[in-house]
Amino acid sequence: MKKLIGWFGLAVLLLAVQISLPSSAQDAKITVMNPRGIQPPIRLIPMPERGSIEGKTVYVVDIKYANTRPFIDELHKILQERYPQTNWVLKQKTGMYMDDDPDLWEEIKEKAAGMVIAIGH
Amino acid sequence: MTGRFVELASTTAYKKGIPNLRINYTPHPITDRPADICRKFLEGSDPHSGKPLVEQIVSALTNPLSPEDKKTGFMMRDPRPRLLPPDTEDNLQQLFMDSNFTDGGPVILPTEKRVVEMLKATSHDPEEVVGTMRPSPPHEAWEYNVEMVAVNAVMAGAKPEYFPVILALASTGTSSLFSSTSSFARMVVVNGPVAREIGMNPGIGALGPFNQANTTIGRAWTYISKNLGGSGDPGETYLGSQGNALNYGNLCFPENEEQLPKGWKPFHVQKGFKESDSVVSLFNGWSYANIAWYSHLTYQEIMTNWLSHFFSYGTRQATFMIDPVTAEYLYDQGFDSKEKLADYMATNSTTPAWLFWNPRLVELAEQGVEPYASYLKLGDGAEIPQSRYIRRPPRKTGSKEPQTGSGRPFFPETLDAQNSLEIVVVGGGTNTYWAGGDFSYMSSASVDQWR
Repeated sequence: MKKLIGWFGLAVLLLAVQISLPSSAQDAKITVMNPRGIQPPIRLIPMPERGSIEGKTVYVVDIKYANTRPFIDELHKILQERYPQTNWVLKQKTGMYMDDDPDLWEEIKEKAAGMVIAIGH
Repeated sequence: MTGRFVELASTTAYKKGIPNLRINYTPHPITDRPADICRKFLEGSDPHSGKPLVEQIVSALTNPLSPEDKKTGFMMRDPRPRLLPPDTEDNLQQLFMDSNFTDGGPVILPTEKRVVEMLKATSHDPEEVVGTMRPSPPHEAWEYNVEMVAVNAVMAGAKPEYFPVILALASTGTSSLFSSTSSFARMVVVNGPVAREIGMNPGIGALGPFNQANTTIGRAWTYISKNLGGSGDPGETYLGSQGNALNYGNLCFPENEEQLPKGWKPFHVQKGFKESDSVVSLFNGWSYANIAWYSHLTYQEIMTNWLSHFFSYGTRQATFMIDPVTAEYLYDQGFDSKEKLADYMATNSTTPAWLFWNPRLVELAEQGVEPYASYLKLGDGAEIPQSRYIRRPPRKTGSKEPQTGSGRPFFPETLDAQNSLEIVVVGGGTNTYWAGGDFSYMSSASVDQWR
């Protein structure tokens, strides 16, 4: 009987050690390295001054995203209906919707008081 | 903008330095909506602000600026600590998941010791800048050095000997998680001695999850794209509507150079490298199919028919991954180079009418411009006798339309099959299979310069 109790005691002790070891390993703190890269600083771009658009020209630009022309046309019509004192010019950007159109941006800077551009989808 | 992109639009405006840009939102989507629905959208309210939309647009044009709107100078970002605060492994794994540092699975935690071991595999200084990367052209570019790439290589489970390949991938500045609503995938093909040196698998199951180098190099590219290239934040820097399962491993495999038929050049040699160079080559696409078909037709005819009906949306390019036994068959059919096979397929493939016609071509056909006028008479179910697998003509500086030799803006007559169809040999020869997909070649980078 004594021998049996002895074995039982040893088994309990081993079990306790087994439970306590992983637990302490799991609780140990480690240091790891940051996986993130370096984000660039952001250069602030001041917005141009604005005011009344009565008697002025505003461009409505269609970037030609697939099958969105009805939306642009309706936008242009509603702006003309509700704000007739403003000259709303509907203009299609060149190329595909992803292409830049520096000529158009220059034209707008030169001739318009503002721009409304609709981007898909 | 449409209301689905509030987060994207506001963060983009912020990162472009116009944090208060006046953005108005319509219900989503506006594509394929008839005029009466569009008018209803416009006469309603902005789904984000709840205010009447048209009035809000005009207010955006007329309301005076705030002092914030007029600010100039720079906004600095939060400093980047080299080490993260100490914590238990479980908590760090959770932190990496919660911070979107992973692909959704656990990682090998990048301790300094592991990163130092990785760095031993290159002669380059840990602080040397490797490059910059962005999710897509309009996004800001993040910068990273050799040590930062090593951190991500450790996380992916890569062995140090894979590191020069991973650095070569990082040096391209190409994100594997391109931000588009159409859920792009990307592919890596490794050529040259390095593939054998590091134990990559070009044989049975090369494209599957069976080899540590194939798997972890591909996975490292995803981690690099997320953590060093600022990509992969759904809704902000990743917009793929359904996502793409190929993004987990990026189809990373070596070409089976040892089993190329006589006269077939390894892919990197086709791109101007020496056979002894070790090179990574990147591809962009969406999907691929794995096919074998037994009929009275030759394999080259089956492949060409498949190509005719393959979508290849927008790119008009495709890549074939051909099993070595199929490559041998094609060689026996007289194709003694990859170029000859690509030329045959591009020349003989046609285009189903539903894929051929776009509004611009219909316009030309209706104006009587040939061959479009004749093609239009063939009807909706016709096979148009023109291949889509042609080189996209380079755009001349200042030109507003694509230029072609024939002067037509689309579908030029001149074919250049070498640049529209790519062929890579891979597989273990267990059957006469080939895989084909809408992948187009992007670029190659030297592995040797990162050893």
